[in-house]
Formats: sequence, structure tokens, C-alpha cells
Amino acid sequence: MKKIASFTVVALLGLFLSTQLFAQEVKPFNVYTDKNSSDNHFAPSGWMGDFGDLRLDDQNTDNPYSGGTAIKITYSGKRSQNQGWAGIFWQNPPNNWGSKKGGFDLTGLNKLTFMAKGENGAEAISKIKVGGIKGQYADTAEVEIGPIELTSEWQEYSVNLVDEDLSYISGGFAFVVNADLNPDGAVIYLDDIKFVNDPTLKAEAKSSEKLPFYVYSDSSSIGNHFIPSGWMGDFGDIKLKINCEENPYLGKTCVKINYSAEATQGARWAGMFWQNPPNNWGDIDGGYDLSNATALTFWARGEKGGERIEEFKVGGIMGRYSDSDTAMIGPVVLTNEWKQYSIDLKGKDMSYIMGGFAWATNMDVNPEGAVFYIDEIVFE
Amino acid sequence: MQIKLVLKEAKRVGFLTFCLLFSFSVLVFAKEARPSKVEIRKYNDSRYRLLVNRRDYAIKGVCYNPVPIGEGYDYDFFNDPRKPWLVDGALMKQAGINTIRLYQPSDDTEAVKELISDLYNKFGIRTILGNWLGFWNYPGPCYGDEEFCQCVKEEVLEMVRTYKDEPGILFWVLGNENNYTFDGRIRPWSTEEIDELESPMEQKHERAKLYYSFVNQLAKEIKEIDPNHPVCLGNGELIGLEVANEVCPDIDMVGVIVYRGKTFGNMFKGVKNYFDRPIVFIEFGADSYDAYLDKEDQGMQSFFLEAQWVEIYKNMFRSKEGEGNCLGGFIFEWTDEWWKHNEYNVQAWSEHDTTSNWSNGAYYFDIKAKNNKNMNEEWFGIVGIKQSETEGDLDQRIPKKSYYVLREFWKNPAKRIREIKNEKKNMRR
Repeated sequence: MKKIASFTVVALLGLFLSTQLFAQEVKPFNVYTDKNSSDNHFAPSGWMGDFGDLRLDDQNTDNPYSGGTAIKITYSGKRSQNQGWAGIFWQNPPNNWGSKKGGFDLTGLNKLTFMAKGENGAEAISKIKVGGIKGQYADTAEVEIGPIELTSEWQEYSVNLVDEDLSYISGGFAFVVNADLNPDGAVIYLDDIKFVNDPTLKAEAKSSEKLPFYVYSDSSSIGNHFIPSGWMGDFGDIKLKINCEENPYLGKTCVKINYSAEATQGARWAGMFWQNPPNNWGDIDGGYDLSNATALTFWARGEKGGERIEEFKVGGIMGRYSDSDTAMIGPVVLTNEWKQYSIDLKGKDMSYIMGGFAWATNMDVNPEGAVFYIDEIVFE
Repeated sequence: MQIKLVLKEAKRVGFLTFCLLFSFSVLVFAKEARPSKVEIRKYNDSRYRLLVNRRDYAIKGVCYNPVPIGEGYDYDFFNDPRKPWLVDGALMKQAGINTIRLYQPSDDTEAVKELISDLYNKFGIRTILGNWLGFWNYPGPCYGDEEFCQCVKEEVLEMVRTYKDEPGILFWVLGNENNYTFDGRIRPWSTEEIDELESPMEQKHERAKLYYSFVNQLAKEIKEIDPNHPVCLGNGELIGLEVANEVCPDIDMVGVIVYRGKTFGNMFKGVKNYFDRPIVFIEFGADSYDAYLDKEDQGMQSFFLEAQWVEIYKNMFRSKEGEGNCLGGFIFEWTDEWWKHNEYNVQAWSEHDTTSNWSNGAYYFDIKAKNNKNMNEEWFGIVGIKQSETEGDLDQRIPKKSYYVLREFWKNPAKRIREIKNEKKNMRR
């Protein structure tokens, strides 16, 4: 009898302990809570792009979301380093771009959350990022979201990290702003940036995007989903202005492209891809599911008329990750009046598109170069 | 008495056996001498099967152009007294390769016939024969010129008449990447009527229409001469096929030349949408030189080739997944060709050049090479070559990793595809 009683006690104790263990919550892992918190694990040391446009106050006491301080970022949008964008990486160890060992194993956490607001509302963060530091000691994950349009009230935002390998993260958090989305600059507040475990969260399935889905509508539109970052061939022959105000087809701005046909790189042709994320030649799992689209339309005109574009294209980026299909039209001879063009996508697999739009031309058909304009590039 | 009966019976059985064996050998001999009956059958949902003498045939092919070290584009392997195909055929058979692609036969028809019949009779390897359709003619092709087209037509029909009764012939291929001429970027051609059109897009469309109409006419006339072998349209990617669809009712299949890295993407569905015929990859592959690290990487090549064959098999008629419209493919290529980087520098034909010729992001391991040039034209073989120690002997054949990986894959593709799926699942865990 004694034996049975002691066995029961041991069993109950075991059950109690295991229940307690399972019930124990995974603790949040903080990037930033308060300036002087000993629990901040990353430092805002990685300044990028037009760093001269940024001012950081990480002990701002104006109106923190919690605790005594918040982060205040003032962005001038002046393009001090001529990049058109700027950002800050919170790193561990500080100033680590992958050459130093550091970082944390964040396995078990599956979400990054943060509070954010703008001074006036409508300020835009173009990108929030977790991981992605390359180099000898590279982060094991790279996830980004954006763009985000802020309100003047604190709101919580999150990055889904389910199924991501977080075993080595030295770039805990990064934000990026750009001058196109914030032409007059922006004042942005951030607070309570932390990694948490959310047991109810599931891996983010890519769902088909709603239409119309813009590649470009206006330079400062938050609805732009691709960036003209993929310059090809004689890239030195290209001048790009994405906020051109010379007779746009619609809205305030259009895209102006000046191709000089000088064969700067010796290729004798040049072109440009609008990519997501920027500079993605298929090495990053990005892009959109545009399965619902049956056409990509855009408006174009030449400065004089007669400018010949060999092809306008959707998709076709191939790499570790490849666009699911490609479609094109061309050659197209532009007129000096706006004209709408359409790339037929019926029957195409648009389920994974990183290269939203591209053009290419060459010096054989434009020996004197070409100046042309594009506007309202949209999946319909 | 009994012994006599037994002997008599034995004689009778022996005679019958002799008669049977004789008839059988006559039948076999007669079968060998006859051309194979090659058919394509279409099923629901545009699924296709290739049948050779009523049996399923999955094409496990290689492009064959075994240029030795020190030789160049003008080397005629058909007339090489060392008969390289005898060494290569044995090695191909061991790997499971069952078909070769010859881009265009040489003028020596007897030599070509010898190669085709040797490969078929000794190793069971069939041949597809192609014609460039004047793509490389001087001063260039012009599919709007009657005289030019007549000349090409005579050449093609003569090829068919000459080889149609060879039992080793599988099908005919018309053209290669001739569709890239439509926009005038390579081997440009036009007509006065086309030039009068204002829009270059319309010009391109008209060129496509002229070209594909001509190819269809060839296909039609081939079938009048040879009812036993299908006709394949050779095409770079799927470009222009929407036009071919309007004017090519006599084409039986489309042969595409594709370099898309580890996946063919939407190609199988795309063909169904634009040109509903079975698809065969008449040229695809990967090189075995890492242009970024500047060293040979056979693992990189075998990774891409196996991934490509997985997709080919997934889209064949017998597969439950995929589109069921793929007949197989021809890897580019059997052996490395050391002359290709600089075809005009004869001295360089004896060196295995490591300079990359072109860029293709789909082959992403070495895309960070200088100027992104990562494709090494002289390293596409699944078999390497090495100068023989005895002068005058054939170059040694040194199978690369891909050779062995594909040999294993072809032994049981379904099993290997299952294994790969499991490997991916385990990696995700």
C-alpha cells in the first residue's frame, strides 16, 4: 500500500512538473524597450544609404509607447549620399556587417513585433527587415515587410518568422525609408521592438494579390510594389528619374529614362528591371502572387517619337528562385504622345513574380540614344 | 524398334526446331531492315505518348558532336576512321542513353548511315536527324526568298529520302533557334513587303508567319515521302509559337532549346496554351565549370541536370503529376568541346578554356563571376575528354559526376524522384 501511495505521489509530481514546463512561456527577446534597459540586445549601428539624411534619438521622451523613452528618427529626404534611401540596422555586435562573430540563436521565437507612429501620419517606412546580414558570419534568415504607411497614433506591426531559421541572427531589426515615398522627409517613432513566440501564428502563405496591382503609379505612391533596381547591360548609359513632373500621363509624376547609347560598359544595349525586393536577381525569395492578373498595362511616350524599345517585359528573372513565367511585347516604336500598351498574361503562370516590369533597348536601333517616359504600370 | 522410333522423333523435332529458328531469324532480320514505326498518340487533357513500334519510348538523349582535342568546327566525325561512336555508344548504353541528336548529317551519306546503324544495331541507340534550314548559309537565311527556300527544301527532302529507311531513325528536326531571327537581332532577314510595314512588331509577326509556314510545308512534304517518322519543329524557348499555331498543322511535336537552370518553369503548361503538341527538349543542360571560383565543379552540373530530368519525368505521360506532354530530352552535350570559346584561334582548340562566354542567372552558383559571365561553353559535356597517351588514338573518355548521377536516375526515375522529395522534406524539418 505504501509503495502504491509513494508511486502515485511521484507520478503526480512528475505530471505537475511537466505541465509547468510546458506551460512556461518562451520569454520575449528584446531589440529595444527603453534606452537604458539592460535587456536591449542589438545596437542601432548599421547606417545605410543616405545616412546623412537621418537623425536618431533613441532616448526620446516626448510620448513613448511604454516605459520612459522611445526612438525618434528624423529623415530629411535630401539624398545626402545621392542614394534616395536611408536606413539603420540594429546589430550585434555593433557595426557588424558579417565579419565578426556575434548574433543570437533565436530559435523558438516566431514573430518580431514593434510599435510605430509618424509625427503627422502618412509617413512611409519602405521596409522593415529581420536578418539578412551577409558575409563570413551570415544571418540564417532574411525576412522583410513593407511598405508601411504610419498613422499619428501608436500601432503595433509584426513580421512573421514562422518556419524561418533563426539560429544565427546578428541583424535584429532594420528599417528603411526612401525619398520617393517621403519627398518632404518624415519623423518616425519606434518603440518596444522585440522577438516573441506566438503559438497561434502560422507560416504566411502567399495569397494572390488583389487587382489593380501597381508597379508604378506615382513616385510617392505607397502602392508601388517594385523598384527599378535591376540595371542591365550598359547601365552607365541610363539616367533614371522616377519623379519626373514633365507632362505625366496621370498624377504628379512619371518615370523618365534617358538612354545615351554610348556603350559605357561595352554591351551595346541597356535595360532595367523593376524588382521585388530591390536588386533581387532571384537570390532572395521575394515577389508576389499575381495569378489573378490577365494583363500588365502601361503608358509610354518618346520625347521626339520614333524611339524604339526592343522589349517590354514581365517576369523572366531566373536564379535560385525564378519567376514563374515571362511575357513580353516588342519591338515598340514610341510616339511623342502618351499611348497605352498591354502585355497579355492570359495562360501565363503569374504565381511568383519578382521582376514586375522591364524594358530593354540597344544602340543599333537608337544610335543617337533615346529619351522616353513611362507611367501607370499596373497589373490588371 | 523403340530406338528407331525415338531417333525418328528426334529428327522430326530437330527439323521443326530448325524451321522455327530459321523463320525467327528471317523475321528478326526483316525487322532489323525495316524502319521503325514512330507514332505520337494524343489523350485527354493534351497528354501525349511517343510509341516506337507500338512501345512506349522515353527519350533519354544527348546532343552528339564529339570534336576531339585540337580539332574545330570543321571536324567531320562521320569520316573519322577511329569511329568515335563505337566507344561513345558503349558508354552511352551503360548510362541508359537511348537516343542521340545529330544537328545535321554530313554530305557523306554512307558514313552517316554507318554511324546511325552502328549505334542502333550494336547499342540500341536511336538517332534524330536535323537540318539548320539554311540558318548558317552565306550570306544568311531569307525565308521570304523562293530560291533560298527551294534550295533548303531540296536539301531537307533529300535527307529524308536518304535516311528514312534506317531502322535507327527516330524523328526529323526542322530548324534550331531560327525563330530568334524574327526580330532581326541574329541572322537578320526580311522582304520588301515586310519592310513596308510600319510597326516592328508587325514585321516580326510577318517574319514568323513566313518562316513557320515554310517549315509546315516541309513537314507536309516529308510526310508524303516518309509516313513512319514524326516531324519536330526546333525552336528557341517558346518564342513565336503562338504564330506557329496558326500555320503549322503538319508539325507533330515541338523541340525546344532551353537554358533555365534547375527548373523549366511554366514551359509544359505554356506549350499547351500556345502550341498544343508534345514537347521534347532538343537542347538543354549545364556546364561543369564554376566561373566564380575559377575551378571545375562537376557537382554543380549534376545538380542542375538531375533537377531538369526530374521535371522532364514529372511531365511525361506516365507520371501522375505534371502535364503529361513531355517526350524526353537531349542533354547538351555528350563530350566537352575544346574549340568553342574562340573558334577562330586554332591554337586554342587544344586548350580547355575556362573563360566564360555568356551570362545566365538561372545557373546561380557562379553568377557572381566577373561581369556575371558564368557559362563556360567548353564544359557542357557529361563526359570529359583527355588526350590519349598513344598518338593517333581517340581522346580518352572520362565520365563526369553527371554521367553517374543520371545513370542512377534513369535506372528508376520514380524512385529517385521520391527520394528527392523526401530529402527536401527532411531539409525543411
